[in-house]
Amino acid sequence: MSGIEAVRKIVETEARAKRIVEEAESRAQEILASASEQARNVRQASTAEAEQRKVQRLRETREKAEADARSSDVETDSLLENYKKLFENRKDAAAKKAVELILGG
Amino acid sequence: MAESLDKLHNRILSDAKLKAAGIVEQAEEKSKQILGEARAQAQRDADDILSRASLEAESIRRSILSSRIRANRLRILDEKNEIVQSILRTVEKSLSDIASSNQFDSTLKRFVAEAVEAVGTDNVVVKIGFRNADKKSLQSLGQSLPKGTKLLAEETAIDGLGGVVASDPEGKMIFNNSFRARLERLDNQLLTTISFAIFGE
Repeated sequence: MSGIEAVRKIVETEARAKRIVEEAESRAQEILASASEQARNVRQASTAEAEQRKVQRLRETREKAEADARSSDVETDSLLENYKKLFENRKDAAAKKAVELILGG
Repeated sequence: MAESLDKLHNRILSDAKLKAAGIVEQAEEKSKQILGEARAQAQRDADDILSRASLEAESIRRSILSSRIRANRLRILDEKNEIVQSILRTVEKSLSDIASSNQFDSTLKRFVAEAVEAVGTDNVVVKIGFRNADKKSLQSLGQSLPKGTKLLAEETAIDGLGGVVASDPEGKMIFNNSFRARLERLDNQLLTTISFAIFGE
């Protein structure tokens, strides 16, 4: 093998070695880009799921509170009905006592 | 020489492959780190969203309940007030009709005596005005009054419901013993009496 041929072979080998490293760097870029994309997807999916759970939780809370509020309405309706009965049954006695108070006070 | 050249050739390629493997391995490590941090951050973000959701949910719950409870308390107060006002209207009607009842004479005497005593001077002027009052009652009252007392019978009911107003001759000291004035003086006691009689409270 002549000296020139030997130098040519070394130059070819260096070029091949350079390509190997460049390919590896390119692969590394792809890996990092893919990781960044996955990271973004992970965060987006997690946030979307949390937002969905938030909406669900708020809806459930609102429904429960409305149900509790309706039971307060029912309780109040019942109390008002009872007041009407008390009024009918006791209005004469109440008026009599009030008149006595004014006349005698 | 050919052997040395082969060795050099292999060495160059071997170094390159080693370096390439290191670059890829480093990228994979970094990739794992990026994903790990992303997952941790995603968890923190989700926890933060849900934590704020809990506070918001509690606020919504309190707002709905407190506004409904407040509205219902107002309904109860309105109803109670309407009942009390209704009783008061009945009371006012009974008082304005007192001249037609058998309590009139005794009530009139007591009201006049109270008013005269409250003014506390001689020659008290007593105005009396009741709806549908019998003149006889007023005349019989005149006989029971202290000497010097001047009795004035009004044509209309004093303060709308009837009653008695006494004053000194100059009109400087006045005691209003009309039903309306007594209703106002006994306002708190009256409301308590009616409320207790109806609601027991």
